[in-house]
Amino acid sequence: MSVNAWIVVADQPTVGNLVTVARSLGGPVAAVVAGPRSVAETVANSGVDKVVWCHAPDDAPPEASAQAVADTVAADPPRVVLAGRNPGERVLLGAAAARLKAAVLTGARSVSLDGDTTTVVNAVFGDISDETVAVSGPVALLLDGGSVPPPAGSSAPIEEITVAPLGLKVIETRTHGFEKVDLNSAHRVIGVGRGVKAQEDLAMVEELAQALEAEIACSRPVAEGLNWMGKDRYIGSSGAHIAPQLYLAVGISGQLQHMVGVTGAETIVGINTDANAALFSQTDYGLVGDLYQLVPAITAALK
Amino acid sequence: MRIVVAYKWTCDPEEATARADGTVDWSRAKPGLSTYDPVAMELARHLAEQAGAELIGVTVGGKGVGAPIASKAVLGRGLDRVVIVEDESLREAGRSELAAVLAEAIRHIGDVDLVITGDSSVDVAAKMVPTVLAGELGWPAVAEVTGVTGTGVQAGALRVERAIPGGVQVLEISGPAVLAASADAAVPRVPGMKELLAAAKKPVELLELAALKVPQQNAVMTVVDRARPERKARKGQLIDTADPAAAAAELVAALRAAGAL
Repeated sequence: MSVNAWIVVADQPTVGNLVTVARSLGGPVAAVVAGPRSVAETVANSGVDKVVWCHAPDDAPPEASAQAVADTVAADPPRVVLAGRNPGERVLLGAAAARLKAAVLTGARSVSLDGDTTTVVNAVFGDISDETVAVSGPVALLLDGGSVPPPAGSSAPIEEITVAPLGLKVIETRTHGFEKVDLNSAHRVIGVGRGVKAQEDLAMVEELAQALEAEIACSRPVAEGLNWMGKDRYIGSSGAHIAPQLYLAVGISGQLQHMVGVTGAETIVGINTDANAALFSQTDYGLVGDLYQLVPAITAALK
Repeated sequence: MRIVVAYKWTCDPEEATARADGTVDWSRAKPGLSTYDPVAMELARHLAEQAGAELIGVTVGGKGVGAPIASKAVLGRGLDRVVIVEDESLREAGRSELAAVLAEAIRHIGDVDLVITGDSSVDVAAKMVPTVLAGELGWPAVAEVTGVTGTGVQAGALRVERAIPGGVQVLEISGPAVLAASADAAVPRVPGMKELLAAAKKPVELLELAALKVPQQNAVMTVVDRARPERKARKGQLIDTADPAAAAAELVAALRAAGAL
């Protein structure tokens, strides 16, 4: 079996989109898993043709198997190698790409194979332009991994390899207590920006979220820096890209880096005190005013 | 111990616009140090102070990355020296090629124990150059690094904290590695006049791309088309907020009518 597409997996079996894209290219699809055996088993059930599981010591993080992943992929070199956007997945894809001397693309909107050419429509520079790139030779794609795929009818065989890990060892793992979220499945999302002055004020936004049946997300500085929410809640070019029915931006200025994450939203509402904020050129409904008055008023109007 | 900070001198797409044919107009943009690189430099500086390490900046790119203003901007942030590969052919280079050139520059420096980078570049934001670089060097890589402490890369001497979905993890590193800092790993100091004056006297080494013997890529990329992506047209309707309750009622009615609720 000559593999057409390799899927590179770390410690999360969130590969639904990767399997869909790999399958759309035709030919055999294989996966190499650098996480726990249970992840390899889930991936083997996802509709791939074979799975290679990197058996490393228990205290080795997925990244310690990067060279083994590269060796595995290079032993049966594909046209395309795919991975999700989590940090561990990026490290494994980088190792595979370096070994294959592959082109690396991270903004693919579509991928197709035509003879010896792989054609990728790739969003660049904060999604302001779409480049169509023709590649001869191997391609490494970083994509949204998607959710855990539903079990396929049959399970692919799992081949186990024993890995001599690179010099990384897990000493300690701590959870931060933030609730995990899948923003992509939310119909309505409220985005919190720096216009919200204090962490206590999030309670007011939470009341609105309950009335709207919305998830709460944020701009990057609110998750990184202020640390008010988990990093899986920030929206933007390097964060989540969502397409909900309604996006309500609260105290967000509307910078490109943030707004590219919501261009797919059906309706966008913005609240900001600054009438000149970039936000208002990108909203369906704009409210220039104090969010501390407007947010409770909208909550009340919904009740 | 020898620590390299790989950085990028480039423009912010916030200052660029896409023309109707999809080509990008950078004429209003001014190049600078990529947004998250000062975080990497601060993180590296803390470690270098602890470990008594030498701190070297490395960048590769098109014309301009070796300009005195660029070198001074990074040397003012506490680096001991910089090594630069400036070649116009690298302006349009892909991630793999840039990583391969960086790897050769790091081999040229020699005896490097650790490479620290920013979270992502402000222009391309692929988050892949550090990981391909690690692959090229045959070293492990860790991304989303939030802290690093230690005195060297001998077994057990270096500890790295990194963000994982739902928490943080502490790793022990032995041997050389590439670390990509998270955007909030450190608060960068703003270089003062004294540091900028000292920066002007620090060594800048320019390397010729041709002299580095960078291995060929197996993939050749050609841009065959460009387009400005279609954006949903927005209504751009402003709701009068003089009376917050009335504004809220108007918004809720509009959203119900639009089927958004």
